[in-house]
Amino acid sequence: MSAPAVHLFQSQPNAARRSERAAFWLFRAATYLVLACGLGVFGTIFFKGAGTVFKAEAPFINTTFFTDAPESLYIFEFEGKKYEMGDGAFRAFKEKHPAAAKVKSESYVYSAGGIYPCIVGTVLLVVGSMTIALVLGVCAAIYLNEYARDGVFIRFVRLAILNLAGVPSIVFGLFGFGMFVIYFGWNVSLLAGWFTLAFMVLPVVITASEESLKAVPKGFREGSLALGATKWQTIRKNVVPYALPGILTSSILGIARVAGETAPIMFTAAYVVRDKLPWDVEKAGDFFFQGVMALPYHIYVVSSKIPQNDYTERVQYGTAFVFLLVVALIAASSILLRNHLRSRYKW
Amino acid sequence: MSESNSTAAPAAFAVQKRRLRLLGLTLDDTIKAFFGGNAVVAIVVLTLITIFLLREGLGFFTQNSQSLRVYRQAGLEYVDFIRAEVDDHTALTRYLSDLRLRQFTALTETKQLPLEEANAALATFDAFADRFGSTVDPLRSLLSDLTEQATAIKTKFIVTGDKKEERRQLLAEGKTAEAAAVQIEETDFAGELKPLLATLPAFKEGNREFGRALLATLDGAPVMPAPELAVRMGKLKQLTRAYVAGLPAVEHALETWDYTRPIPAWKAVSSFVFGRQWLTASFWQDWYGVIPLFIGSLMVSIVALVLAVPLGVGAAIYINQVATLREQRIIKPCIEFISAIPSVVLGFFGIAVLGQALRALSQVSWLSWMPGFPYSERLNILTAGCLLALIAVPTIFTLAEDALNNVPRAFKEASFALGASRLQTIVKIIVPASLSGIISAVLLGLGRVVGETMVVLLCAGNRIAIPDFTAGLSVVTQPVHTMTGIIAQEMGEVVRGSIHYRALFVVGLVLFALSLLINYVAQGIVRKYRISIG
Repeated sequence: MSAPAVHLFQSQPNAARRSERAAFWLFRAATYLVLACGLGVFGTIFFKGAGTVFKAEAPFINTTFFTDAPESLYIFEFEGKKYEMGDGAFRAFKEKHPAAAKVKSESYVYSAGGIYPCIVGTVLLVVGSMTIALVLGVCAAIYLNEYARDGVFIRFVRLAILNLAGVPSIVFGLFGFGMFVIYFGWNVSLLAGWFTLAFMVLPVVITASEESLKAVPKGFREGSLALGATKWQTIRKNVVPYALPGILTSSILGIARVAGETAPIMFTAAYVVRDKLPWDVEKAGDFFFQGVMALPYHIYVVSSKIPQNDYTERVQYGTAFVFLLVVALIAASSILLRNHLRSRYKW
Repeated sequence: MSESNSTAAPAAFAVQKRRLRLLGLTLDDTIKAFFGGNAVVAIVVLTLITIFLLREGLGFFTQNSQSLRVYRQAGLEYVDFIRAEVDDHTALTRYLSDLRLRQFTALTETKQLPLEEANAALATFDAFADRFGSTVDPLRSLLSDLTEQATAIKTKFIVTGDKKEERRQLLAEGKTAEAAAVQIEETDFAGELKPLLATLPAFKEGNREFGRALLATLDGAPVMPAPELAVRMGKLKQLTRAYVAGLPAVEHALETWDYTRPIPAWKAVSSFVFGRQWLTASFWQDWYGVIPLFIGSLMVSIVALVLAVPLGVGAAIYINQVATLREQRIIKPCIEFISAIPSVVLGFFGIAVLGQALRALSQVSWLSWMPGFPYSERLNILTAGCLLALIAVPTIFTLAEDALNNVPRAFKEASFALGASRLQTIVKIIVPASLSGIISAVLLGLGRVVGETMVVLLCAGNRIAIPDFTAGLSVVTQPVHTMTGIIAQEMGEVVRGSIHYRALFVVGLVLFALSLLINYVAQGIVRKYRISIG
């Protein structure tokens, strides 16, 4: 009995094939290593942060973490028992037990309470700056895609947009500080932060909007023009409505960028700590000229200005968890919606 | 005939529509102009960034030139010649104590002597080291006297400047009487410097004595037990002789030093661009040299790119050429998703987890062959570089994948038709065809990494010094400070309008210029080497 005959065209193992497979495995390993690193970062922060944000009994979410302002944490021993308390609770405790007035305590700033003012501040910053960026960016994209004819000027504008996209965020921070905070005299304020962030995210919005406008078929415009509509009527009725979903979803990626950046707001809009909430203002006009606390800056403060130990870890990981979750949700919805849209509109 | 024609009304169109005109523009023109105006915003913002960085930053150079002038006129420069000499001697004693440490470990570890006996065995060596170290003491006391004198002159000058400013402000407010009451004493540098310069003969005397004493101590150097240590001792002797031979040069520099020599204007720029020291809030003299920060940024970026380029490009090739459609659909958004992780969260991850993990890894014994392992600084170039790599990978991946995607199908098909394998096609056809795109992807990744702030601020260790390159590859385990980090760290604390404040804006200007340059080169490469499909 001879061995079963090998088919003439069946692939034979040889050196070239082996090296090819080895090379492909290397590429595969690189890809999965990147994914593993990303997952590692997400996993660590989710796993450790979940301990602060969730709890075992109903309602399963640590509501005070979302509704309180940051406080100092006091750790002390009293009558043989160990206590951990926030600022307010510690004061109440001392009033209740006069003997505790002189008790020795360790304290860590920002380690108790919650992050409510930071969440509010971040939401305000994102809403304001995205409004400005969307208005400017969509209008610019409409001009570039609908009106402009190729020429020196347009090439110059595109070059400027490309270059603007590459400018480091800290330079935007310096610029915002020099122009809005000092030259315009707005001080550290919401308004200064809005404009700084809006200019930073402008290239993202313009590129995204232009892509969506380009995706609207030429026939839509030509049909409208042939029926006697003016250019503006065509754009308003036949181009922008079809591009708008695309513009909005792609711009969500811009939101993730605005919410995530720390460097531009460090000197333009963010306060380390502020007792008042943004709507506690005397005049309505003051609203725009106040600094706010913001999540990314708060993470910077709690991770660099206070020591690392078991007590401070909770607020550090908790804040990072909430922040990462928010940004990840925004980014994920953008990516998913975009893929969905791509498959939906087939012209 | 012609007259009747001209008076007749022009023929009316069948359909006529009146158009509203605003300043001679129709509604459509106005709308177009409005959109056009928005498109210009990008240019306007770039211009404004340039203007405001220059507006706040340019004053630095006049202030720096002023600072350098005071440095010379108040005699600080004079004293620094002597300080350099003393510091060089300190370097020699450091070499000597390193020698002692080597000897000590040799005694305790190879000969297994108890600590006391080892110390006793080194008694003659210690006596020698003491003699060697104490030769400089007379010079050092002279130096501290001179330091005080020079500081006093500088302080006097600064106080005068402050008073002048006070008077100017009072005059601006119209308070002439109060302004006149402000006493201003012009600093007379020549007179103030006289006692300082009068110490020169004493210094010369002391300097020669110092040289003689140093050489005399060398003769009493103890004999080294091991040949390897003897070589080091010989090196020390050689270094010391060279040092003593250099002493007259210091005297010469002091003799020819002249406080009236003007500081050339380019010095204000060159001391920033080539300055090797970034030293602020010092009692003696502030230095604003960008080199340590620039090198820090560069080192961190190099480490990040070394890690990110193989990973990013490899992943792009895998996804574009090798992976199945399903893998593509899942992995591509995931990698894009990584780019959404905020940098401050990555920085926090570096402080809380990665720094410790890498240090623990470096202390594993079977990894000690790696350069720089084990190390003790938790936050260093390596930690920051690893995290920045994670930031750069999605950028490089996305752009490189685009570039690979743009290679025409026909290239691949032709290669297959000629009998090339998949690997050969990728390596010889697809990657070379898209190389310009890949290179520009790497450059844009570099731009991202250089401009990144929060990660380096939190994880690079923030020590403002040029890393020690003599350590070879293990230089990556040293802490550094970066250009972006220094702005973020010091901007909140400086006085508006001070020289320090302006220096930070100039660093920002350098960063801005660097980002424009990287962008320009990346676009240039793409434009120049774009593959022609035809």
